[in-house]
This record gives sequence, structure tokens and C-alpha cells, in this order.
Amino acid sequence: MDFAIETINLTKKYGSKAGCTDVCLRVPRGQIFGFLGPNGAGKSTLVKMLVGLLYPTSGQAKLLGYPLNNIKIKKKLGFLPENFRYHDWLTCHQLLEFHSKLYGINGPERNKRISAVLETVGLAGKEHQKIRTFSKGMQQRAGLACALLPDPELIFLDEPTSALDPLGRLEVRRILLQLKARGTTVFLNSHLLSEVEMVCDTVAFIKDGRIIRQDSLEHIQSSEIKMELTIGKINDTVKQALSNIALSSYIEGDIVTAFVNSEDDIPRLAEAVINNGAQLYEMTRKRSSLEETFIELTGGVDN
Amino acid sequence: MLTILKFTFKEHFSKKVLLFSLILAAIFLGLYGLGVHFAAKDLARNPNPMIADVLFPQLLSLGLYFGGFIVSFLAIFSTVGAVSSEIENGIIQTIIAKPVRRSEIITGKFLGNGLFLALYAFLFFLTVYFTIRLQTGLELNGLWKAAALFALQPVTLLAVTLFGSTIISTIANGVVVFTIYMVGVIGGMVEQIAWLINNVTLQKAGIIASLIMPADALYRKIVNSLLHTTGNPVTALQQMGPFGSMVEPSIWMVIYSIFYVLLFVGLAVYSFNKRDI
Repeated sequence: MDFAIETINLTKKYGSKAGCTDVCLRVPRGQIFGFLGPNGAGKSTLVKMLVGLLYPTSGQAKLLGYPLNNIKIKKKLGFLPENFRYHDWLTCHQLLEFHSKLYGINGPERNKRISAVLETVGLAGKEHQKIRTFSKGMQQRAGLACALLPDPELIFLDEPTSALDPLGRLEVRRILLQLKARGTTVFLNSHLLSEVEMVCDTVAFIKDGRIIRQDSLEHIQSSEIKMELTIGKINDTVKQALSNIALSSYIEGDIVTAFVNSEDDIPRLAEAVINNGAQLYEMTRKRSSLEETFIELTGGVDN
Repeated sequence: MLTILKFTFKEHFSKKVLLFSLILAAIFLGLYGLGVHFAAKDLARNPNPMIADVLFPQLLSLGLYFGGFIVSFLAIFSTVGAVSSEIENGIIQTIIAKPVRRSEIITGKFLGNGLFLALYAFLFFLTVYFTIRLQTGLELNGLWKAAALFALQPVTLLAVTLFGSTIISTIANGVVVFTIYMVGVIGGMVEQIAWLINNVTLQKAGIIASLIMPADALYRKIVNSLLHTTGNPVTALQQMGPFGSMVEPSIWMVIYSIFYVLLFVGLAVYSFNKRDI
């Protein structure tokens, strides 16, 4: 398989403190890849290593098949940093012109690309305003526009919607899906799990600088089946029978939440209730959300 | 690199430090021109060649000395955060991720800033030069050589400032470079006194200070070469005082200054190449 990002035991140490340890990732081309972890887990450290801001202490990494910091490959990369800040004395158009030149986009192609990205991020008509007059959300759009300039094959987006309102977030999701449709690989670093859940194909979880799980979103969501049962006249025998079938379960009043790992276990849950003298009023299959997996793996919700 | 160079050059026009520097330079040059004008007018009314031979060169030295201060301050304070402030505010992250080498970022910043500062210093020098030349009629030697050396002064400071900017924070860099600059300035004065009283130890101290920061030595060379006329009996009097140049620094000091600039730019490239952002 052709990978857009491939890292082998990539490690970054800050003195004795580890930023990332033995990170092994494989991101297939053309996917939207979600990178998740609590604050300080090492998400930004990994992104910074991949885009050339930090030098790895050890390990190897390839982007689009080439080692890190390859100038030719950088022409195909887009990057929106988490703490984005641009030359605020420039107009949006001048900023995009400067970044186009850095990408080596010259001649008529430059204006064509600038117009296209302004249109994409919704800043068309505002290109002659100074960046310093932009709201934070508009500045983030301008940053996204800079990252989209080279029509990248691989784009790193570090919290791309942190300053956007719900409508802006929706637009960014639309842009991400458009990029995917064009074959661009998107590396999405986001705190917003619901957002990741809506667009990502694959996700990886990082904790204390180590990757603790990398899997397709589909697989993560289907690996456990969450069932919710509303039961009347519940008794200890029913409880025992349910816990024998479920991987885990908990009871709140009349409602029992049970996690099973197979479709075949679902009718068994119903049988356990009915055959042991209780009444089954409702039985609903719930999807195991990414948030639950996140909490389970990292031990807390990020904020 | 050309993109960074052009951008850095243009960036100066967006900074308030340039505006203030231009206003202060205009005030300084206005007052200076007025002073020279009245001194020349007074001596024209009551001609005294002996006083004119001493006063006019002293006025030239004064203009170039404080002009050098203004240019040097601009060099330090407009570039003190050339790299560090962009690291601190995050702008550099968007540049390094682009297909541009770190060495190109540093050399582009050096050349963009260097061209701007050299041009500023060059125009400043010409203003002082022609103020003296046209109002007093003082004979001066080697205009272009002196102008080039005057333009080199802020470039030496820029090289050190740029290097500092790659290794320490903006405020710390400002303090360090300003101190280094003052070492050069005081060293130059000490050397001037040393030649007057013929004290070898002080002369050596002055030379060491010039090696640490050669900007002041360049100034002494400019003044000496502009005013040096073979067989002029009042040359020693003209070069007396803190702004004069009793002994002309050798050509090796100019060559040293050029290597000094190259060394610090090289160090800036090296340290920025190694640095984690």
C-alpha cells in the first residue's frame, strides 16, 4: 500500500522529557486521518516533526515516500499550525502572494490559485482587507487558504476549526471532504471528536507520547456494540444473566446499558431478561462513539 | 531566498521604528544643518582660518558620530527580533513548513535588512557630507570609500543582532547587542585617549574592544580618511576629542569587519539550522 505518512519509531525528547516515543504510524494516501489525544500528549510535537519544525531525536519518517524536510516534497504539503499567526500588516491578497512565492507558484498560475483558495475558504471579496482587521475566525480561514495554495497532496491541519463558529466548522468539513475527493491526504489534529467522527477514515490515539491505538473509524465504532435495555421487575438473576453475556454493563434505575462484542449476543440479552422473569419494554442498539473510546483509551476527556 | 529578501526589505516600511527613526533623523539633520549654517556664516563674517580649520572638521566628526548612533540604533532595534519574535509569535512556523531552506530564510533576512540599513546609512552620510561640504567649503577626501564604510557600520551590528536573534529571546538579544555596541563605542573613546597620552595598555584595550565590535573603528577610519591631508599642520588638532581619530585604523580592520559580518551570518545560519521551533 502507498502511504502518505509513514513513521518508524519516531521519537522526540526534550532533554529528559519525552515529547513522542517510538511513534509508528501509517497513513494511507487519500484518507482523512484523525489524530487524537489529551493536551500535552504529543500531538503537536509529532506534527511539528513531520513538517520540519522539530528535529526527531531518533527514528525515521517519510512523507509521500520521501524523507522529512525534502524541499521538493514540501511543495506538495500544506500546513495550518495550531497557533496560527500571519504578517498582520499585509492584506489577505498580499499574504497569499507571499506564501505563493514561497511555494514557487509564479506567473498567471499564482493569481489563479489565490482566487481559487479565497473562494474555497469563503474570503472572496475580503482579499484587500488587512489581516489585522480580520476576526480570529477569518484569520484561521486565511491560514487555511495559505495551506491550500499549492493544491497539496498532503495537508496537516492542527485544530483547523478552533476559532470558527458552527457554520465555519461545517464549511471546513465540506472543504476536507472536497480535498479527500480530489485524492488529498488530510492529517487532522482536532479536539473536536464529533468532527473527527464525521469526516475521518482512520484515527490514532496518542497518550504520553505513545500511540496507543490506530484503527479505521468504522472498526473502532463497530468493535463493541452498545445496547440499552429498559427493563421492568429486574432481579438479581437477570442481572447475573446479563453480566454473563455482556463484556461490561451498568444499571441506572430501569435502564441497563450493556456492551457486547457480537451481533449474536443481542438476542441472547433479550432472552436473559425474559427467561428470568423480568419484562423487556425497550431494547435499543447504540453506536459506540469515538468519545467513549477516547475516554477509555486516554482516561479522560480533553478540553 | 529572493522572496524573503524582498519581503524583509519591504517589511521595514511597515514598522513604526522606521517612522520614528526618520522623524528623529530629520530633527537631528535639521538642527545639525542649522548649526553648521550659522557657524559657517559667522566665520564668513569674521574670517579666522585657524578656527575654521579646527571647527569645521569637528562639526563633520560630530555629525557622523551621532549620525552613526542613529543608524546603529535603527540597525539594532529594527532587527532585534528578526528571528526570535517570529518564533515567539509563531509566524516562522508557516515559513519553515514551506519549500524554503532555513539557510535561505536567514540569508534572505540578512540581505533584506542589510540592504535597507546600508541604504539608510548611505543617504544619511551623504546628507551630513554635503551639509558640511556645501556650507563650509571644507575639502574632504574619498567620498565613496567613506560612504561605503559608513554603510558597513550598521551591517556589522545587524550580523551580531541576527545571530543573537536565532539563539535568545528578543528582549535578551536587545540588551546583549546594545551592550556589545557600547563596548565598541567606549573602546573607541578609550583608544582615542590612549593615543593622546600615549598609553600602550589603553591602546590595546581599545583595539580589543574594536575586535569585539568593529563599528566604532570603522567610524574612526571614515573620519580619518575624510580629513587626512598630507602636510596639514592642524590635522592633530582636527582629530582631537572623543569624536576624532588620532590614528587611522588600518585596512585590516575593514577586512576584519567584513569577515566579522560573514562569521556572524554563518553562525546565525548554523544555529537556526540546528534549532527546534
